[in-house]
Amino acid sequence: MMCRTGRQPDPYEAGDEKSSSNAAFAALLEDSAEELYESAPCGYLSTLMDGTIAKINATLLGWLGTEREAVVGRKRFTDLLTVGGKLYHETHFAPLLRMQGEISGIALELKQADGGRIPVLVSSVIKRGDTGEPLLIRTTVFDARDRRAYEEELLRRRQAAEKARRQAEETRRQAEEARKQAEEARRQAEADRARLQDALAVLQQSLLPDTLPEVPGLETAAYYHTAHPDRLGGDFYDVFRIDGERFGFFLGDVCGKGPQAAALTSLTRYTLRAAALHDPDPVSVLTTLNKVLHERYAGSGDPRYCTAVFGTLEPGPGTGQVAVHLASGGHPPVITVRADGTAGFLPTPGGLLVGILPSARFTAATTVLGPGDVLLLYTDGITEARTGEDRTSLYGDEALLACVAGHAGKPPQAVVEALTGVLHGFGDGLDDDTALLALGVPAPDPQTRSIR
Amino acid sequence: MSALKITTRDAAAGPVVEMSGALDYDTAPRLQALLATLTLRPGQRLVLDLGGVEFCDSSGITALIAAHHHARAARADVALAAVPPRVLRTLRIVGLDQIFALHPGGDSLSPSEDGAG
Repeated sequence: MMCRTGRQPDPYEAGDEKSSSNAAFAALLEDSAEELYESAPCGYLSTLMDGTIAKINATLLGWLGTEREAVVGRKRFTDLLTVGGKLYHETHFAPLLRMQGEISGIALELKQADGGRIPVLVSSVIKRGDTGEPLLIRTTVFDARDRRAYEEELLRRRQAAEKARRQAEETRRQAEEARKQAEEARRQAEADRARLQDALAVLQQSLLPDTLPEVPGLETAAYYHTAHPDRLGGDFYDVFRIDGERFGFFLGDVCGKGPQAAALTSLTRYTLRAAALHDPDPVSVLTTLNKVLHERYAGSGDPRYCTAVFGTLEPGPGTGQVAVHLASGGHPPVITVRADGTAGFLPTPGGLLVGILPSARFTAATTVLGPGDVLLLYTDGITEARTGEDRTSLYGDEALLACVAGHAGKPPQAVVEALTGVLHGFGDGLDDDTALLALGVPAPDPQTRSIR
Repeated sequence: MSALKITTRDAAAGPVVEMSGALDYDTAPRLQALLATLTLRPGQRLVLDLGGVEFCDSSGITALIAAHHHARAARADVALAAVPPRVLRTLRIVGLDQIFALHPGGDSLSPSEDGAG
């Protein structure tokens, strides 16, 4: 310790051969040992072994803000300490000092007269007599205010840094949590969408037959183009057995799109099938459908109706010909494609949309399909497809007729494939669902035969 | 690309709704909504002037049928005027030419027996 003092009362008065040169040196410094003691840059304190203050320097008195008379012989060292300091002194400081004879650098707090506190570093040493008995305790006291302030500042900085780090960590955690939630929501939305798409696809399939039944002496082919995967389509078709000789077929288009159109399609399909079993006459079947739809949707304020062609197929035994009876309600006329290379509409003028009025007129037509002949039913998605560079022209009836005429004599599958190619060629000009159904009597030439 | 302009005026016999443009999936609901707000008295005649309609699809047909039902419910008449040939062909296919009175309003509207077009 720099300020550790020598013997009391004055270490520099020790008489030996060096004392004269020491005194000269002190004189040179114009500084007496007494003044050095009193005004040293640290506090000095001498106490009796019971702690009673015997001597104290001015520096320490100044720090305490008290007078020498109030302290010397009146107070003990521990009286200068805070409560915590007193405890520490009793339990650690004093016992260690007694055991070791000295102790250094202990941090304590002094009480000031005005109630303030001064952090200090305290070192003590026991002065012993010639026989080794303890006489008194010399103590130096260093002002640790600057150091304490520095330490507190360090601590505060470290706490601030720690707080900032924790906040950053919390922010990062929250961001991560938000990201996870967003990810989960996105995943959930995609799963929902996929499930909905699956449900729509299943519903869509339930509105159309997976496969058409085998009809003796006849070939069949069908195609369905969905314009909007998320809008349930409104076109429909089917082929089914009525009795031992006859089959029924239909194709049509319900108004609107989406779930309501799908419900209408479903009602229409099953009504046509049931009505045909009761009375297969095409006009009668459409009349029944008209009553059912009108009864169901009249007065709803939102007209619901469909167009439909319904017909029966009756193969002539042994003739290789099939008799076709059909009727149309508001639907474009069907096309007959003949084996001889001609194609024409089978007119059904005047047939009204099915379901808009309580009673409606439907127009019947008949034809006979010979070997190589094909009957083509279609919805107006194909004829009303927009063509041309500016998409302002419609594909139209005549183009459709010319196209199928070019495939005359071929089996139904070939005609449908040709038209499928036409549909794909429309690109974004094809804005509506389109259904195609082709029914044909096999041609005699096996080379043109095609198994569906 | 589809746009429909609708104007309404009152004639002696009843309201006249003139429209031009495309009567389709995108625009027909607007016409249908407007028609539902028209007040018709018994004996009046609602006229739908289709002179400027370039295209009419199934949604347009639905709007026309709604107009028909609306008029009939009010015991009023309904007529289509100046139907362009292309639209008339569509009307014939679906049989609406039988349930609407058609006012020529032009020279090219002589009905044909062949709905096939």
